[in-house]
Order: sequence, then structure tokens, then C-alpha cells
Amino acid sequence: MLSYDFMQNAFVVSFFISLLCPCIGIFLVLRRYSMIGDTLSHASLAGVTLGLMCGQNPVLSAFIFTSVCGALIEYLRKYFKKHTDLILSIVLALSVGIAITIISSGKLHANADSFMFGSILTVTQFDMAMVIILSVISVIALILLYHRLLYIAYDEDAARVAGVRVELINYIFSILVASAISVSIRIVGVLVLSSMIALPVATALQFEKGFKQTLMLSVLFSMIDILSGLFISYYLNVAPGGFTALMSVAVLAAVMLAKKLSHRAKSGACS
Amino acid sequence: MIKAENLFFSYTGNAPYVLENINFEIKNGEYVSVVGENGSGKSTLMKLILRFLKPTRGDISTQSKRIGYVPQKSENVNLGFPITVYEMLDSYRKLLKIKDKSVVEESLKIAGLSGLSSLLVGNLSGGQYQKALIARSLIGWPDLLILDEPSTGVDAESQKDIYSLIKRLNTERGITVVSVEHNLDAAISNSTLIYHLANSRGHICTPEQYTEEYLNPERKHSRHA
Ligand SMILES: Nc1ncnc2c1ncn2[C@@H]1O[C@H](COP(=O)(O)OP(=O)(O)O)[C@@H](O)[C@H]1O
Ligand SMILES: [Mg+2]
Repeated sequence: MLSYDFMQNAFVVSFFISLLCPCIGIFLVLRRYSMIGDTLSHASLAGVTLGLMCGQNPVLSAFIFTSVCGALIEYLRKYFKKHTDLILSIVLALSVGIAITIISSGKLHANADSFMFGSILTVTQFDMAMVIILSVISVIALILLYHRLLYIAYDEDAARVAGVRVELINYIFSILVASAISVSIRIVGVLVLSSMIALPVATALQFEKGFKQTLMLSVLFSMIDILSGLFISYYLNVAPGGFTALMSVAVLAAVMLAKKLSHRAKSGACS
Repeated sequence: MIKAENLFFSYTGNAPYVLENINFEIKNGEYVSVVGENGSGKSTLMKLILRFLKPTRGDISTQSKRIGYVPQKSENVNLGFPITVYEMLDSYRKLLKIKDKSVVEESLKIAGLSGLSSLLVGNLSGGQYQKALIARSLIGWPDLLILDEPSTGVDAESQKDIYSLIKRLNTERGITVVSVEHNLDAAISNSTLIYHLANSRGHICTPEQYTEEYLNPERKHSRHA
């Protein structure tokens, strides 16, 4: 199957998705911001439809529009201190409004369905280039900002005392979220993007390790989920997004079950 | 030195103020305990010194080059966060751009936590957790240490360790200490000055004066009623 060009493209993109999503996801999950992933993936759909309508590359337009929405969420945080969930509703309304209006107008020169459900057939050379550029820049930024992002998530006050420019880093981080989402949208699709951000991290958290190990495990589970999802969906001839999400739930359930059994075995051995 | 001049603060920007017309000057090398009822604005005052909050009116300033901060327990910190004691200190070192990795082990040793660095922070006892926060605050050798209720939720044995540690940092290293205290005995026996907050206003006195004014037998009864 790797002899098909589209399958090779899909694998390269999947590799970057499974690297980026959990690296971003771990910070979102630990800050209890998982729903931002969901909101921004809807924003990326609006970006895609805008791009398709204007004849621009949809990955690029998704990245730009999602970044703007990410920055808007950070900006609105000042005005809705106690109700951050409201901000998400506002950005969601804006994004879904744009997406539905454009899709239903029939003015699209392409099919938006593949972005909803994910597809491996439609990854173009230009998409590939976009994905690789965004991924490489994001990975470098994540490495440079690792300790700052960790501290903002763990103990924001301590980060401030240590001189971290929390607001600035938060803006940069929202662009990184936008980047991860735009990279992923082609293959996994809008509808399951937020599960790719949250579930591998949820699985890794079951092991109760330190931060670095949890991050490594998240990437490992993400690779398992996405690559196996891609393989199996290809043979079943279904959309990769759906099957990847099912894989991530199955892996999480298996890990939780194994954990429970090993606890039982331990307490059984004691009594 | 920490100096407050005609400082007013409220979270809303209007009256009623949490802190009203606060004036004080804390010289380098002092060990000041800040006392007062729950909700009297002790933590708020610390956050003003740290510049997390801006005065509504007036001014508060320090000449401190590096501040170590030990926050009030459970404030904004997620105890389920997957982070080891070592990571908590080592990432902090990175934030301060300190190249020398050995400061992490050194701080842990000073705080009496050597050997626990691979534990998850969430699995520490109350006393160990507080010591870990103190160890972190020592990274980069602060000249000012701000602690918010360092012995809350800490067993009696660790309380002793913690106060003798703070006292040593103050007397041997000359670190200025400002510590919010609910533990009045500790405040009286350790600090050089006591800052008492009540009804949005504050006043500063020596531990002897404080004992005399607030804790003499007749008044003690009514205070704790
Ligand atoms: N972030 C906040 N927003 C609004 N009010 C606050 C905030 N933090 C504290 N307060 C209020 O300010 C007062 C002083 O609080 P605080 O400084 O935490 O007191 P203490 O530390 O002495 O117990 C209390 O009435 C508290 O309810
Ligand atoms: Mg307090």
C-alpha cells in the first residue's frame, strides 16, 4: 500500500500529526483547556471554507484563521475572567457561522466533506509542504518554550515570579495550537480533532509519571492511535478520522483496564 | 527594603478597600511575620509586593534583585499535575536561566529533601510539599523570601524543620523574610517584626509589643472567642 503516492504523503503527514497533537494537547489538558482544541478545530473549518471559496490553499487559510481565533480567545480572556467557557461559545458561533454559511451557499469550488471526516486521498504536494513547514517551526518553538509552557500550566504565579512573560507566551501558544490543528485537519478531520489532542494525553496520564515521561507516552500513544487508524481505515475503506478516534478510545480503555487488573493483582497478592 | 506609601487596594477598583492607607518600611535582613484574621488581606499584600496586583492608589516597591515566593497552599496549583520534584525545581532553574544544574540538588539538600527528587509532587506529604516549594524558592539565591502560610497543612515535626530552615536562611544568609503566619507562636518566636492587619489597616510592632498588646490574658480570651 505504501507504493501509492497518496499513502506515502498520508504517512508523512500522520507522523507529524501524531507528534504535534499530544505535544500541544498535554498543555491544553493540564490547564483544563481541552475545549479550546474543539473550538479551534471548528475555527479551522471556517478557515478551510474561506480558503476554498477564495481559491487559496485550505491548510494555509485554516492556519491563518485559526491563529486569529486563538489570539481572539486570549484577548477576550481579559474581559471574561470568570467565564472563559463563554469565550469559546463566542468563537465557536463565529466559526460555525462562517463555515455553514459558506458551505450551504454552494459557492465552494471543492468538497468540504473531506475536511469534516478526514481523508487520505486528498493530501496534495502543497499541503505536504505546508504541513512540514508548520510542523518543523512548531516543534522548534515547543522545544524552546518547553520549560515556560510547563510552568505556565503548572504554576502560573511561580512562572511570573521567575520573569516569564505569561501573556506573550500564551499568544504564541495559541498560534502553536492553530498550527497543530491546521496540520491535522486534512487527515483526521474537524470532528475528531479534539479527541486527537486529548485522548493520547488522557491515556498517558494513567501511568502517573513525571511530565517528560507523560509527554513521551502521549506521543507514543498518539502514534499508535493515528498510524493504526490510518492502516485499518485504508483496508476497511472508511474515513481515517473516525477510525483513528475509535482507536484512541480503544487504547485508552485497554490501558485503564490493564491498570485496574494490575492493581487488583497487587492488592490480591497482599491479602 | 520594601516600602509601602499610602497604599490602597481593592479588587474592584472602588471602595470598600481590602487594604487602606498602608504605610511601612521593611529594612533588609528583617524577618517580618504578617498576621491577621482570615480574609484580612495578607495574601493580597504579598501579591502587591510581588507585583501580581497593582495598587489602586499609592505605591509599593522593593529594591530586591531576586524574590523567592512560596505561595499559599492549594492556591491555583493542580495537585494532580504529572511533575516530579526534580522537574519542578529544574524547570524553574531553566526559567531563571541558571546554567549550573547542581543548584537543584543543593536546594533540595538545604530543604531536607535529598533523595525524594524522583517522586511525583502530588505524592508528597504536606510537609514535604511545603519544603519542596521552599527549595524551589531558593534556586538562584533570592535576597527576599515571601512565604504565605508556610506551615498550613504541615505536621508538627516538619513545622519545626520549616521554621528552623527559614530562620537559618534569614540569620545565616541574610535573606529578608516576609511570611504570612496563622501560627502566632511561630511568628512571635522567629520573627524580628510583626505586621498586624485588621480592618483593612496595618501596623508594625516587635514580637514583644505584639504579645503585650494582643495576647495578654484578658484580651486573648476575647480575641479567640
Ligand atoms: N482574586 C480576588 N478577587 C476578588 N476578591 C478577592 C480575591 N482574592 C481575595 N479576595 C478578597 O480579598 C479579601 C482578602 O483576601 P486575602 O488577601 O486572600 O486574605 P488572607 O490571605 O488574609 O486570608 C477577602 O475578602 C477575599 O475574599
Ligand atoms: Mg491568604
